[in-house]
Amino acid sequence: MNSEAVAVRDLVKRFGTFTAVDHITFSVRSGEIFGFLGPNGAGKSTTIRMLCGIIIPTSGSGHVLGFDLFTESERIKQSIGYMSQKFSLYLDLTPKENIRFYLGIYRVPPDSWDARMEWVFKATRLESVRDRPTGELPPGWRQRLALGCALLHRPRLLFLDEPTSGVDPLTRRHFWAFIRELTREGVTVFVTTHYMDEAQHCDRIVMINAGQIVAMGQPAEIVRKTLPDRPRADLGDAFVALMRKGRP
Amino acid sequence: MSLRKIKAIARKEYYHLIRDFRSLYLAFFIPLLLILLFGYALSLDVDRIPTAVVDQDRTPDSRDFIERLHASVYFNVVSCPPSTAELIRLLDANKAVVGIVIPPGWTAKLKAEKDSPLQVIIDGSDPNYAGNTRAYITSVVAQWNRKRLVTFLNRHGRRPIRVPVQAQIRVWFNEELESRNFIVPGIIAIIIMIVGALLTSLVIAREYENGTMETIRSLPIQGMEFFFGKAICYFFITLVDVLVAILMGQVLFGVVMRSSFWLMILASVIYIWVALSLGLLISVKTRSQLVANQLAILLTYLPSLLLSDFVFPQQNMPQVLKLITRMVPATYYIDILNGLYLRHLAFPQLWSSFAILSVMGVILSGLNIRALKKEGL
Repeated sequence: MNSEAVAVRDLVKRFGTFTAVDHITFSVRSGEIFGFLGPNGAGKSTTIRMLCGIIIPTSGSGHVLGFDLFTESERIKQSIGYMSQKFSLYLDLTPKENIRFYLGIYRVPPDSWDARMEWVFKATRLESVRDRPTGELPPGWRQRLALGCALLHRPRLLFLDEPTSGVDPLTRRHFWAFIRELTREGVTVFVTTHYMDEAQHCDRIVMINAGQIVAMGQPAEIVRKTLPDRPRADLGDAFVALMRKGRP
Repeated sequence: MSLRKIKAIARKEYYHLIRDFRSLYLAFFIPLLLILLFGYALSLDVDRIPTAVVDQDRTPDSRDFIERLHASVYFNVVSCPPSTAELIRLLDANKAVVGIVIPPGWTAKLKAEKDSPLQVIIDGSDPNYAGNTRAYITSVVAQWNRKRLVTFLNRHGRRPIRVPVQAQIRVWFNEELESRNFIVPGIIAIIIMIVGALLTSLVIAREYENGTMETIRSLPIQGMEFFFGKAICYFFITLVDVLVAILMGQVLFGVVMRSSFWLMILASVIYIWVALSLGLLISVKTRSQLVANQLAILLTYLPSLLLSDFVFPQQNMPQVLKLITRMVPATYYIDILNGLYLRHLAFPQLWSSFAILSVMGVILSGLNIRALKKEGL
């Protein structure tokens, strides 16, 4: 199997005359936590939607888990896990019913449904609320449920689109501990975030501004390269400096 | 296409439905209400016409005439006002629809074998009703005339003359001319449209409004799986509504279908499929529950009610409107139902309507799947 979970080359997405993603090239290695950073409107969501097979790129080339972005979006959707803060679960359904829905859609064999469901409830610590309407749960709990649903079919690649926005610090810490555990089992994680402290958890990151990649590498490496004369600078300082650079 | 995915979507849809009071109300209460309202209120039969008679003649003959009138099922003599002024008041107040004035000396003129006019005033505000009333009056008067003629000839020891032409009228398909017999099939067509199209017009729009459409897009679901998964629940609900409507038509209104039950179910299944496809198409195109609802009423419910031959006969419509009625699915469904309920037809006489409905279903489903594909499914 390919050692690159994601590989894209000169990927472009245009909406009419607006270029949301402008010739980006990068790759994600199997088993790493890969951070995708950028301000709002930089093209983060468009990129992640292309990688998840939701929209077809305008031009370029790319593979996700060996499946082509242009022709095999159905296979991609079947193989990856995708969780986003922006879209929600079905709030009028209970956690159990939400999980049942995902189990059916991901074609998990029915004889392992019970086992998968128990695993999710245990991993997300939602056992006690399995039959309560999801809408009654606090945001952090829904978050966990959404993550659990995205993992039901044991994907080897997990996309997280701003997974922790609106979640308290303690829950975020738990969340990242859980993500680390997943990578130990060999899952590749692709994450977009606004929080620079979270970006520190990533093995490698890409920063994107106005649809173009402005920095790529390990977090410490990016800080060093961007602000060579400020040894005490952190990733946040580097981010601000990089985003400013791109603007006229 | 995977059956398991369709099942997963259908199950989810079922949970939504049983927890949504509004949809349940629309699915079960509205059909019952419609059957009762249409069945009891919408009677197109003209009988027991409220009639007022001013008898200025006051003879046994004039009283006999009034008696005759009252005895027929068509007229109900509600009042015998003393003066024509009073009669006008009754007509103005809509207490009577027919006013009859028997002038003084009416019987005397009759006996003298002179022309003996009888004044009949009909309220023409409802032309259809007035037309029927006029026909009934003419027939009652003709009967009375003939009876008088026969007694007159008998009294003078002459043989009654023979009427040269006698129309032997026999009504087919709906012997008692009961409007209920064609209203009940019409109600079934309207109910399917309301429940089928109105309910489904909400379901995809709701996914957009709740942001869950993005979830659906991110999952390995194809347009066809989504379409069938969404439709299945509503299909069974609508089918239950059809069965309830058939049963209520039979129990409450005595409208019994004597043709093939299974042909009726087959027609209903195809028509439900058309209604659901139309509702879902509106839903995916509008993306807003409010707009979808309005559009569903405009595009499905109203044409089914007004243009389907249910309330207004298509024969009397202008050419342009007639062409539009050819595109209303209810036209064909009501055609099939009338064929089954009233004419006792079988498949060979009805196949063309079945075929057109099926073609409509295929086209609408195709449009749905194309629209969903554009949405990334």
